[in-house]
Amino acid sequence: MLDLSFLPSGRGGAVTDLPDDQDDAQTFAMDAAAFSHPSFVLPSVADPVAWMKHQMSDAAENRIKMAKGTTTLAFKFKDGIIVAVDSRATGGTYIASQSVKKIIEINPYLLGTMAGGAADCSYWERELGRRCRVYELRNKERISVAAASKLLSNMVYAYKGMGLSMGTMVVGWDKTGPALFYVDSDGQRLKGDLFSVGSGSTFAYGVLDSGYHCNLSIEEAIDLGRRSIYHATFRDAASGGSVLIYHVRQDGWQVISRTDVTELHYQYAEEPRPSLL
Amino acid sequence: MFLTRSEYDRGVNTFSPEGRLFQVEYAIEAIKLGSTAVGIQTSQGVVLAVEKRATSTLLEPSSIEKILEIDAHLGCAMSGLTADSRTMIDHARVEAQNHWFTYNERIKVESVTQAVCDLALRFGESANSEEALMSRPFGVALLIAGIDEKGPQLFHTDPSGTFMRYDAKAIGSGSEGAQSELQEQYHKSLTLEEAKVLSLKVLKQVMEEKLSSTNVQIAVVVPITDDFTNKKKGGFSFLTEAECQAVIDQLA
Amino acid sequence: MQMYEEQKSSCPVKVPVECRFSPYTDNGGTTLAIAGDDFCVIAGDTRQSEGYSINSRYAPKVYQLSNGSVLATGGMYADGVTLVKMIEQRLEWYRHAHDKQMSSGALAQMLSTILYHKRMFPYYVWNTLGGLDEDGKGAVYSYDPVGSYEKQKWNCSGSAGHLIQPFLDNQIGFTHQKEKAPLTLERVVQVTKDAFTSATERDIYTGDNLEMFLVTQNGIEKTRVELKKD
Repeated sequence: MLDLSFLPSGRGGAVTDLPDDQDDAQTFAMDAAAFSHPSFVLPSVADPVAWMKHQMSDAAENRIKMAKGTTTLAFKFKDGIIVAVDSRATGGTYIASQSVKKIIEINPYLLGTMAGGAADCSYWERELGRRCRVYELRNKERISVAAASKLLSNMVYAYKGMGLSMGTMVVGWDKTGPALFYVDSDGQRLKGDLFSVGSGSTFAYGVLDSGYHCNLSIEEAIDLGRRSIYHATFRDAASGGSVLIYHVRQDGWQVISRTDVTELHYQYAEEPRPSLL
Repeated sequence: MFLTRSEYDRGVNTFSPEGRLFQVEYAIEAIKLGSTAVGIQTSQGVVLAVEKRATSTLLEPSSIEKILEIDAHLGCAMSGLTADSRTMIDHARVEAQNHWFTYNERIKVESVTQAVCDLALRFGESANSEEALMSRPFGVALLIAGIDEKGPQLFHTDPSGTFMRYDAKAIGSGSEGAQSELQEQYHKSLTLEEAKVLSLKVLKQVMEEKLSSTNVQIAVVVPITDDFTNKKKGGFSFLTEAECQAVIDQLA
Repeated sequence: MQMYEEQKSSCPVKVPVECRFSPYTDNGGTTLAIAGDDFCVIAGDTRQSEGYSINSRYAPKVYQLSNGSVLATGGMYADGVTLVKMIEQRLEWYRHAHDKQMSSGALAQMLSTILYHKRMFPYYVWNTLGGLDEDGKGAVYSYDPVGSYEKQKWNCSGSAGHLIQPFLDNQIGFTHQKEKAPLTLERVVQVTKDAFTSATERDIYTGDNLEMFLVTQNGIEKTRVELKKD
């Protein structure tokens, strides 16, 4: 069983740092001086983690399905970073949405991508946005991408083993130039030039790796990102919808395009096939 | 005041028989030792101006911080104990961001002022699980300027946790003279530019040193406009030294 | 709702009985919301079931909230009721604290945080929030049980969600079609009624009554239409 002793214990299993009559009715109280981790309501069982895992498993009588399945990618090149994602959310075999925004605008110069539990990604990246803003006000300087990604990884690491599911790329431009980090809910944090995350990532990598080099022009880079996601949606049933692309530059991010994959399918079909000989 | 003081100023949470909390009143007195700060509200935005009292010629003037940003749409000028103000302004910043986190909207000027004032009485011994922050009242007065759906607003807070809205308000050592000057000069149709000049005019009258672009600081809060990119324009900003000088030039 | 799984065995030897805390049940039902240019329709059937039993033919799960938004809750009825009580409390606190009515956008974000704070013990509820946004335009927000949400133009969830959603994609969104009919309130109401009468024929958890909330600048109109009761 996991050690949950770091969580403050409360009445009836409700973990809270608030007065008794307010428990989950309030948003978590955040100490102005210290950034405490938000507290969550827990079920009154011996092992809340195992219980929650069961509720989300196939064996559960009333299963809690979380939106999952994705292809996301981001890569550095000479003119910044391209971020490209699909827009499909699936709950089991049902397509819950074809219009999910999997690029999260943390602030005007930081982006996060969404793979894994949609709620986990959007909540923690929002929390990251809040912390980055407070950092900026306190230090009169923008937070570095390295520091921001580490904030995120430390936050989710505090809940390791409790069932969070998040595979994200934190992308931005700081004093050191363009920066790209992969952060996940296991606590892994990697710096790199090129990442793809999600169920369709292997397909995306296939296209991405074959066309990638640092000296791509902006147009070529955007096209490579778009093609990689398109091909992932073609082979991965859990990815689809449309391809959303952002470009990160020195002056912040820019939305490039949102294209339905059907449109891309016919566009690419008309192109001459490259000869492999 | 000292006649009736007796022993009732020894504890921070003991009323005098006349119903006064002396330590809170002393804290209000402490502000009158601070540098002067002025806030003026206009229909176009709010101006905050402070004097930076350099106690030594060797002091680096830019290290004196009397005006601070709370959020993109909120600014704050302080007078009194600088260290105390840091706790309050940090609280305001966190509160503003928490509001954004939960409601995805900018916090109202009055709400952030209320949040800061909620701290004011958290001194002495802690009661019902609310932890006391300080052993004494904060020795700070704040002028909180901001813009929300109700338009540009200016609030004044004092160590008792009372806050009130003003068209124009002065705090600090020169506040009495400055306030009466504001009373005379203020009118509702004041433009932002006129308010900048007025704020310095008022400061100039109460400052001991000769007013210059290095010993005053001006900030404004104007409406935020989205220019359909991710960059927002307007909101809280400091005037640069050159812009400050331009206002000073209009004083003569 | 089964609290304990009893061991059904003829074996006379006592063996440990596993008792698992299973607080959830699915009470079925379908909810729908469609946003127009200056209106929003939020609807849900009123049947409440458990397994093959119908508990109630009129147990409404679409709630008009005090800020002028409408919340449709699907999944577990009790969790939905609790959630709505909580939201109402928060709406009132907000009114006192900020001296204004919470906007639908602010409520949408708040609901997400409320749901996520029970990430480790979720509300078993699929929410759809409808109303008018700050510009008076129709707005629909749909949620998963732990607070992931998306602003949409139309959404249907619950037991017949998978039956109705493709129909809405076709008749409201006209996805992948060249011609698009204008989205009038009358048409939206008609599509909603048709969707529910048809879903009632194919989903055992949908039926009895259809309750619709028509949100416009002039206020909220609540209407009820009978559905088949078999």
